[in-house]
Amino acid sequence: MKLTSMIPLTISSGLAQALLFGVVNGCIYILLATGLNLIFGVMKLVNFAHGELLMVGAFVAYEVTTIAGLNPYVSILVSMGAVALIGILLEKFAFRKVRGTEKLNEIFISLGLIYVFQNLATLLWVENYNIQIPSPLSGLSLPLGEVLLSYDRILAIVIVIVILIGLVLLTKKTKIGLAMRATSQKSDAAMLMGININRVYTFTFAVGAALAGAAGALYGIILPFNPAIGALPTIKAFAIIILGGLGSIPGAVIGGLLYGIAENATGYLTNGTWQDAVAFALLIIVLVIRPTGLFGEKGE
Amino acid sequence: MQKKLIIVIAVAIIAVAGIVAGWQLTQVPSAEARNIKVGIVAGMQTVEGQDIQRAAQLAIDEINAAGGVRVNEWNTNVDLELVLVDTVDDAAGSTPGPVTRAITDQGVDLLIGGATTAGTLNGQIPAITNRVPYIITGASFNLVTRRGSLPEDNALHIPDAEGMSYMFHYCTTISDYSTTVAHFLADSVKPTLDSTYSFDTARKLRLAILYRDDGYGRGVRDVTSSIIAEDNLPIEVVANVSYGTTATTYQSPLISVKESKPDAVYVAGFTADTAEVVKEGINDVGLNSIYIGVEICEDPQYYSLLGETGSFQILESKIATQWQGDTWYLEKVGTYVENYKAKFDGKIPGMLGADTYDAVYIAKNAIERAGTVNKADVKDALETTDMPQSLLIMENEKITFSTGTNYHEILPKTFIEQLIWLPDPGELKPHVVYPDSMPGISSFKQADFALPPDYEPGSP
Repeated sequence: MKLTSMIPLTISSGLAQALLFGVVNGCIYILLATGLNLIFGVMKLVNFAHGELLMVGAFVAYEVTTIAGLNPYVSILVSMGAVALIGILLEKFAFRKVRGTEKLNEIFISLGLIYVFQNLATLLWVENYNIQIPSPLSGLSLPLGEVLLSYDRILAIVIVIVILIGLVLLTKKTKIGLAMRATSQKSDAAMLMGININRVYTFTFAVGAALAGAAGALYGIILPFNPAIGALPTIKAFAIIILGGLGSIPGAVIGGLLYGIAENATGYLTNGTWQDAVAFALLIIVLVIRPTGLFGEKGE
Repeated sequence: MQKKLIIVIAVAIIAVAGIVAGWQLTQVPSAEARNIKVGIVAGMQTVEGQDIQRAAQLAIDEINAAGGVRVNEWNTNVDLELVLVDTVDDAAGSTPGPVTRAITDQGVDLLIGGATTAGTLNGQIPAITNRVPYIITGASFNLVTRRGSLPEDNALHIPDAEGMSYMFHYCTTISDYSTTVAHFLADSVKPTLDSTYSFDTARKLRLAILYRDDGYGRGVRDVTSSIIAEDNLPIEVVANVSYGTTATTYQSPLISVKESKPDAVYVAGFTADTAEVVKEGINDVGLNSIYIGVEICEDPQYYSLLGETGSFQILESKIATQWQGDTWYLEKVGTYVENYKAKFDGKIPGMLGADTYDAVYIAKNAIERAGTVNKADVKDALETTDMPQSLLIMENEKITFSTGTNYHEILPKTFIEQLIWLPDPGELKPHVVYPDSMPGISSFKQADFALPPDYEPGSP
């Protein structure tokens, strides 16, 4: 069954279509940026290897889908769990060791982890270098007025929304969420109030990693991937959280959408080559006008 | 009298014995005899690099099993020894180091391989400097052999003509496959469109070129337009749209392509991006057109990434490693594919490996004719290569390198496959649809080109 059809496009409908794809593509960035922001907000840790967790998430989902025969959308949960576990190990055995020392130590650990993850993934999956998670919905699209949207992309939006709602509930309505917020505001005071900072940090890193795992699985369902895919999304995720405001989850959402829209509108109106340049120029403009980002607060 | 006869016989015996002894003496292998070190330049973190390495190993094992390579200078046959020159990802920055080490530390006698143009342009410099014969089996931009002719102020210009003469290109170029694609569109697609949609025969085929914004993509764009103009083909390029090399989604440029109302889309990309362009074009943007992929290297992953969406889409190729038919179009190709699969766990060979396999035999042939592994002599022998075509189809059915221009290039022929989804076993498989015949192959075409079921032409 193929629901796609040739549709008459005018310049305006073409732009509308490009903007819609921007929103959809922005969703993956949002998930990645939110995890990154959560880790930075609570732990003040800048993890450049966050995109590698996305990459690992994609491969985990691929393996459980192709080997275990799981539905790819169920594999997202497995991917989240597996990457969360990796996150716990990273926090305990790498980042915790240098916590409180020079910030550069954390940065270099995360930079080193990029190569460790990439090389390991290449060793493990070089036979399947460019792959995609097989989806039962592959090739099916829904006409939405003058635009088309694949069912996989529609599901990705829904899943991102569900995960973000879950994250908000976790941080706002649970005891551990309260501890995370307290730690993010003043870790010393939180510790004095009896909060186990190490446990909060481990949990936070696990949640951030799980979000990257989910982003990776969704990425792998929608797009082909390989061991090198993590780098660029990480840079984009950093741009998004700076754009939206460091530590702000709503900021990451709005930033992700803005970035996706800017990227796709540029690709449509000018040339695909300029997509990244214009999107990053937008980031610079926002920072010049509002150095704390759209939703950031001074001193945060 | 009898005494005289005895003396004559004795002298004759001594003479014969002397000749035999002398001959035997000349047949004693030289103390210098050793294995010939063949440096295989392959990025082992890439699918193409692994294919290159496997194909080289297959050829070397075959040659050694058949007695090795005769080196007259050493009075003996010696084995070929594969020296892996691992260029990791074959990126521009990854190649010079391993190639230099292979030359200076490992003492390779010649080099074979190289996949990307950017990586090869950098990786060939140590070979040029050290005068090491290099049979380049990838890099579709012919700059790897012609950079000596670039203007002196061009950063890629190599002012060392002698060093450049050690470079041999055994691979199809952008010009080779763009020529095939343009003529396929004019000879096969346009008549099909005209008859199906009752178009005026004067109507030109509307072609959109969607390309990676790098040297390769821009090269395809420019060369294709030149070929259309030079050969006066009934094709109008209605859009030239680029996408960034770091892009992962292509909807925006595809929307621009769609607005140009093309009859066909020529995608100058690599495996993953071309597959994604086709999928997003059909499934997201609703551009139900003919997509022509090139330089996919017959990568099996291209077929699996496309899946059913790729049915009726087009792929330019130079070796049909997934040939669908009872008998292979060239017996040698069939043997190669079967041996490769048997040796490497059922893996399907790709295009660059086939180039490399042939190149190892070309090197053997040159060394045997040179009678030495002296690099200058081997280079001279390579220049006069004259072998029957092997896995790649050649215009004159022979492997020869152009020498008059000092470019050392071959005359390959490429062809067009249409991919068809086979519900059982649920795989995409290629069928040759153009041209009808090839040098040395009278009946080559397997099926007529057919428009995809959902196909919609561009503007009338």
